[in-house]
Amino acid sequence: MTRPPATAPDPLGRLVDGDALARCAQEPIAVPGAIQPHGALLAVTEPDLAVVVASANAADVLGTDPSGATLADLLTPAELDRLRAALAGDLAEADPLQVTVGGREADLVLSRSGGLLVTEWEPVAGAGQAGAAWHRRLPRVLQRLSAPTRLEGLTGVLAREVRALTGFDRVMVYRFDADWNGEVVAEDRRADLEPFLGLHYPAGDIPAQARALYATNWLRLIPDAGYTPVPLVPPVVPGTGAPLDLSGAVLRSVSPVHLEYLANMGVTASMSVSLIDRGTLWGLVACHSYSGPHRPSYADRTAAEFLGRTASLLLHTAVEAADRDAVVAVARREADLAGAVGRSPRAPAAALVDGEVTALDLLPAAGAAVRLDGRLHLLGTTPPADRVAALVPAVLRAGGATDRLTLDLPGFTDLAADASGVLAVEVGGGRGDYLAWFRPETPREVSWGGDPRTSKVTDGRLSPRRSFDRWTETVRGTARPWRGHEVAAARSLARHLGEAVLARAGEDDRLATALQRTLLLEELPKVPGVALGARYRPSEADVVGGDWYDLVPLPSGRLAVVLGDVAGHGLSAASVTAQLRHALRAALLRDEGPAAALAELNRLVTTLLPGEMATAVVARLDPASGELALASAGHLPAVHAAGGSAELVGDGRGPALGLLDDADYPQARLWLGAGERLLLYSDGLVERRDRPLPDRLEALRHAALAAEGGPQEVVDAVVATLDPAGTDDVTVVGLARV
Amino acid sequence: MQFAVHRAAGHGRPALRVRGELDIATVPQLAQCVDAELAAGPRSLVIDLTDTVFMDSSGARQLVRAARRAAEAGTSLQVVCPRENKAVRLVIDLLELQRLVPVVESASLTDGEVGS
Repeated sequence: MTRPPATAPDPLGRLVDGDALARCAQEPIAVPGAIQPHGALLAVTEPDLAVVVASANAADVLGTDPSGATLADLLTPAELDRLRAALAGDLAEADPLQVTVGGREADLVLSRSGGLLVTEWEPVAGAGQAGAAWHRRLPRVLQRLSAPTRLEGLTGVLAREVRALTGFDRVMVYRFDADWNGEVVAEDRRADLEPFLGLHYPAGDIPAQARALYATNWLRLIPDAGYTPVPLVPPVVPGTGAPLDLSGAVLRSVSPVHLEYLANMGVTASMSVSLIDRGTLWGLVACHSYSGPHRPSYADRTAAEFLGRTASLLLHTAVEAADRDAVVAVARREADLAGAVGRSPRAPAAALVDGEVTALDLLPAAGAAVRLDGRLHLLGTTPPADRVAALVPAVLRAGGATDRLTLDLPGFTDLAADASGVLAVEVGGGRGDYLAWFRPETPREVSWGGDPRTSKVTDGRLSPRRSFDRWTETVRGTARPWRGHEVAAARSLARHLGEAVLARAGEDDRLATALQRTLLLEELPKVPGVALGARYRPSEADVVGGDWYDLVPLPSGRLAVVLGDVAGHGLSAASVTAQLRHALRAALLRDEGPAAALAELNRLVTTLLPGEMATAVVARLDPASGELALASAGHLPAVHAAGGSAELVGDGRGPALGLLDDADYPQARLWLGAGERLLLYSDGLVERRDRPLPDRLEALRHAALAAEGGPQEVVDAVVATLDPAGTDDVTVVGLARV
Repeated sequence: MQFAVHRAAGHGRPALRVRGELDIATVPQLAQCVDAELAAGPRSLVIDLTDTVFMDSSGARQLVRAARRAAEAGTSLQVVCPRENKAVRLVIDLLELQRLVPVVESASLTDGEVGS
């Protein structure tokens, strides 16, 4: 029993090194075998009150050597009566008994330990007194303490009132997290002192044994951190062979290691009051003096403890109120975002990324990722896009949330700084879309109240900075945990988004299909001298392509045949297709020839539909003469089947529509003899990923040559022979002279 | 072949090598890469389709868009597509993409370097 463990209150004083911690963890905390010198301790038998153990300073404090004495020898008969009355009831109710020993007033504090009555005698002289004025203010103080609905308010009032009451230079409220790491959450201090608000301490700063003691013992005091411990005599209780358990004693001596730390930090006196939330140690009120010994009176300490107990009762309501506020705020933002998505269902990503409230505002996080329609948008501080694309699916597979990424998933050590916390939710629709939020490694989130490098009350070895560094090591790789209501809000938003996207996709498909249908002819026009065939097969994939065809009888009696294809799929391609079809029809009706019509259409695309690209082929047939004028804007070559041969039409080719601001198109002139056929088609007919396009064109040429019958039979035979992949629209138009 | 866009530098110029099938599904990836390159305002940029095994009209349209953006950014864009890559080269030829953007046989024989 040489080194009592660190049990004194002050968190900043708990800067123990590893060795000391190891010793502390093994030392019996409650039996230091010594007391502090600002009072004397006598352990006596009951009911005889015979002194069994005494502190070595008892004769000095009490003015009488108590060896072999009983308390009857020290107290007046009246005091003895009060003592005996107290012993019959609750000891705590009686504390302190005011007595006079050796001609001095003293507070006599009673407790029981190991079958003995422990009496502690603390002279009143030398103790600081807040005075009656403070106690008269108590109702108002209590009112102030219970008024705040938020935790910051409650702890702030607590720090201020405890300091006003006890006169310490600094009073901090210190809060434990789930792993017993601590943080200074409120502070009241002498104006010239460096702030400690926001400082963090590793769990190791307050050993588990000490925490256990604090959970049952509300107040600890070291009036003079430079004190010399006073041994108990004899060191073991006669007849038991065990040292006296001092866990309930107010004079209990603390670890010399702890005293050394206090001295290093310039702390000359300290006190702490436990904050206990429903049976669990929640935090401490930690008090420091830097200007010599400081001993608040027993009455003031009792009042401070009372404030601590009262605040303890209020803690969970304040914490719950703060939680409730957070839950309400997250729910409100979730509703805002869902509303924004509802207002612009065609652009849900824009609603989440560009709006006044973005996905990043949903919950407290440093960064967010929104992947919708396969496009990734990043908000705030996130890993780079390529790492996000790897990270989020991995987190989704691992359950969707982590607050210690590098410990939970291999391969992401480079992301610890920005994404130690990842919350990811899938957005339905089967496109691999998701929402994700990122929290940085905890130390990055934490700010110092003051500049630790200019600390005046610390030295190098035992500075708060050093403790902060050690705390940083403890929490490396971890982020603030995701709360239940945050996960729920993220899931709810994703669900809402998935529904909106699905509804939009369904609506788009219906619209596009309807639009496409208007582009196809219900019935092929009857043109004298011309036989026509057409086939349109929509893609098997659930998307609408950009194919169109048109047959335009011209005023001159000629017939223009159009086959076009807008690059892209879906609603936007379908609407571009509709515009092109009608514009081309108007241009053709001027009857200036296919090339002129395509040149005009090209101008329209580049000016009105910039960024769009389409191909088209136009053939104009004079049924009477068989003269064919043909122009192609980047389209696949028409097939001219004549007698025993079928040729791809290589002439009359110009650039695709939308490529050049102004393009001229050459016009080919050929003849369609009686019984000859011309086939126009879209790329869906010949495009196959497993076969090169030139081979497919050759296959088409052969199929057109082999087919027999009228244009419709030829069209059907060609489609059957080529067996196009179902991934794209297939459109084929055939014409012949009859 | 898995689609991928690799960034390489050839002859001191940034080049995007497009592997696999360039179609409506993969076009956004190329678009992102092109935007990222153009954001740095390079003097020239190469899109290399040597290893592109298939290109549909969406892919072609993306080349057109890339060419327009490059022109706006003052970057000279070149597309590399050797004749041997018939599948893609035919699409380029049909659309006459070379009228908008230089299409060359290989990255080492681009206009800017021959004879300079």
